[in-house]
Amino acid sequence: MSSETNEKVLLELIKVSKQFGGIQAVEDFDLKIQKGDLHCLIGPNGAGKTTVFKLITGQYPVSSGRIKFKGKDITSMSASKRARIGMSIKMQVPGVFEELTLRENIRIAAGNYTNAADLDAETERLIKLVKLDTIGNPPVRNMSHGQQQWLEIAMALSSNPEILLLDEPAAGMGPEETAFTADLVNELNAQGLTILFIEHDMDFVKQIARNVTVLHYGKKFAEGTVEEISNNPAVKQIYLGNV
Amino acid sequence: MRKTKMQFSLGSENIITVLLLVAGAILPFFLSTYRVSIFSYFFTSAILGLSISFIWGYTGIFSFGQAAFFGIGGYTYGILSKLFDNNALTPVALVAGVALAAAVAAILAWFMFYGGINDVFVGLITMCFTIALSTFLGQTAGSEWKIGDVSLGGFNGITKIPTLYFGSYKCDKVTFYYVTFLILAAIYIALLLLKKTKAGYSLLAIRENRTRSELFGYNVPKIQVIVFTIGGAIAGIAGVLYAAWGNYITPSNLDLSASTLVVVLVAAGGRKNPTAALIFTIAYSIIANTLSSSGSQYALVILGLILILVILFVPNGIITAAFDGIDSAWRKFTGKKTESEGGETA
Amino acid sequence: MSYLYQFCNNFSFLILSAIGLSIIFGMMGIINLAHGEFIMLGAYITTFLATAGVPLPVAILIGALGTGVFGFLIDRLIISHLYNRPLDSVVATWGISLIMCQGMRILFGSSIPGTSTPLGSFSIGDGKYSVYRILLAVIALLVVVAVYFIFMHTKIGLHARATMQNSSIASSMGVNSNKMYALTFAFGSALAGFCGGLYAPTMSITPDIGSNFMMESFVTVIVGGTNPLVGTVLSGGVLGLVRSFLEMNMGTFAGRVGLLVVAILFIRLVPKGFSGLVDNIRKKMEVKKHAKN
Repeated sequence: MSSETNEKVLLELIKVSKQFGGIQAVEDFDLKIQKGDLHCLIGPNGAGKTTVFKLITGQYPVSSGRIKFKGKDITSMSASKRARIGMSIKMQVPGVFEELTLRENIRIAAGNYTNAADLDAETERLIKLVKLDTIGNPPVRNMSHGQQQWLEIAMALSSNPEILLLDEPAAGMGPEETAFTADLVNELNAQGLTILFIEHDMDFVKQIARNVTVLHYGKKFAEGTVEEISNNPAVKQIYLGNV
Repeated sequence: MRKTKMQFSLGSENIITVLLLVAGAILPFFLSTYRVSIFSYFFTSAILGLSISFIWGYTGIFSFGQAAFFGIGGYTYGILSKLFDNNALTPVALVAGVALAAAVAAILAWFMFYGGINDVFVGLITMCFTIALSTFLGQTAGSEWKIGDVSLGGFNGITKIPTLYFGSYKCDKVTFYYVTFLILAAIYIALLLLKKTKAGYSLLAIRENRTRSELFGYNVPKIQVIVFTIGGAIAGIAGVLYAAWGNYITPSNLDLSASTLVVVLVAAGGRKNPTAALIFTIAYSIIANTLSSSGSQYALVILGLILILVILFVPNGIITAAFDGIDSAWRKFTGKKTESEGGETA
Repeated sequence: MSYLYQFCNNFSFLILSAIGLSIIFGMMGIINLAHGEFIMLGAYITTFLATAGVPLPVAILIGALGTGVFGFLIDRLIISHLYNRPLDSVVATWGISLIMCQGMRILFGSSIPGTSTPLGSFSIGDGKYSVYRILLAVIALLVVVAVYFIFMHTKIGLHARATMQNSSIASSMGVNSNKMYALTFAFGSALAGFCGGLYAPTMSITPDIGSNFMMESFVTVIVGGTNPLVGTVLSGGVLGLVRSFLEMNMGTFAGRVGLLVVAILFIRLVPKGFSGLVDNIRKKMEVKKHAKN
């Protein structure tokens, strides 16, 4: 492999495995995310997608294998450190602070990366970015499911990350909300942000993803462009056939 | 709409804050010296309550250990001030008491939070720690438990502890009242201001969701250790002031019921709100004091009943609920105009 | 021999005082601060009956039963509103313990006449041993076996274990988790009452005897973790050993303090207590089996 391609690789998983007790959740999983990619991780329920995310963010330690980010080995780095060097996530279950207001949420996320003096301006910028600037400042528990998801994306963006991980960004959304989310993801990617996301909804994947990795029983099952994958008969059989 | 409600809740709390501070400042002009002195004692409980409000209400660390840090502060002050045998050095004993309480809290916190212990288990470990300390102090009656010529005194604790002096100026009665009042007010105001700062938001983040905060880049264990240490220092101050006020400290100041009582009081008043914690701990002290001096055997039964009813019907705390009640009444009274005002400031 | 006796003594005390607390904590996540007062209630009922001429074993059983019924009422009235709010239940149970302790004092004064320890004692060498104390150790073991049987071999036990592991899945499979919690609380209370009844003849009966049990029962549960059986038995065993050793060599107070220090260190090294440790070992063994296959 040439050094030129290496420089373009932002995130790399090398033979990563994870066991929980007796269960092999992820096995010898390799993944390479190029800078600027819009990459999707798909797979049937229980394939280990969310576990892979948690290994990348450092919520779980790996059982074996290595993780590299920006060419640096981060396998044993703490989750908070990984976040500070440019890795952000929107979790599956909205990881927002429900008892707090919209702006308090953003301030919590941005507080770590912004001077106190700029915090107000930064808060408003982020709220505008996900187009939540028209709803006032409600407590998050009163916001719709879609709004909560976008809020969390805004929070994830507060660190000016180099890679954004999205765990089912369109889950539980209506068609309009899904379309808005797709636009948002595309726009962010167009601005140069590398995005890796998990998704169930194949239409959504086709709308936005460029490359796709298929996970099955914790192992890599197939990988390729979105066209290749959606025409792959084996993938259809394990996954798409059921949709 | 919701935001409006919150704005006004803060509004009424601010009014109460000012009233409380003014009341505290002028109290000695209206009460006998004896009563004023009793209030100094109530204030030490309130400071202890604020330490719980800070670590539990603000940061979500559930600790039964504050009574232990209270005890460490008090015992350290007692031992050192008697060892020095020089009243001018009592402020040194004060600082040492606070420092030792903070240091022990830091070690315990490091031990727990970097070990990944959280939630109810922190409560259990701190409970064990507190009981261990009070059990140990309870068996120090023998002559082998002496530091210099200061006896730890077993269940009777340390007696004849000198009060605070500044130079040769003896700080007692009304002066002592003002010292405790100023310390209490300073901690209280600091806690209120903290809420609006970046540091305040990081505590809030940890209270609401540790995992998420970690993923936002907060070094959660480090912040927890810092918070727990400061909480220990605050409890230590309370203990020092208590020992200087009553001239004694005993193991019962840090036994199981002392350590749970303060947690229970803060929970019942409203743990997320320092004003609520403050009002409720002082109100409880006043009620308990009156009931016990009236000799009623039903005092504890009534207290127990109040706690149960509060938890069942106003789980956010009785004082917090009262603030909300006043605010909604105020909103009805002033009508819709204020609502739009609140919306603008949002 | 005296070491063994001491160990049996400590072991049975730790197990009997902790098992009720541990079942409630393990199943419901609730720390019952009124546990000591439940023990006290059992001791009172037993003592009243025994001094009125009821045979002691019967009195103890009625004491356990009465405390269980009382626990059930407390659960329906108060605790059932606090499921899923473990920290609030701490406050509530503290209130309950205040009321029970002071209420008993108001009703019956600061102490009641007790019964003497039955069955006498025997001596071997210089040591004097109480037969009743040895019987208590046997009973402690029987209680463990009985609890094991209930949990592992009855339908209610199965439902209880299902609820403990995942209450939402259990209830989706038709287990009424509210009913399970109520039963658990009653059962835990009954065991507390049983402990009170058993120890009633060995101590003077005052409204605050609960505090004699509180510390030991908490420490045992902390070290044991959330599995009421494995955790309690192992931690009772280990703590019993530690305590007996310290007591024999350094005195009673060293025993108490040492117990707490060991507990703090242990929970730091093994945050989930013995239950977590056993779980991990079991999982590792499964992995190995897996690997072989």
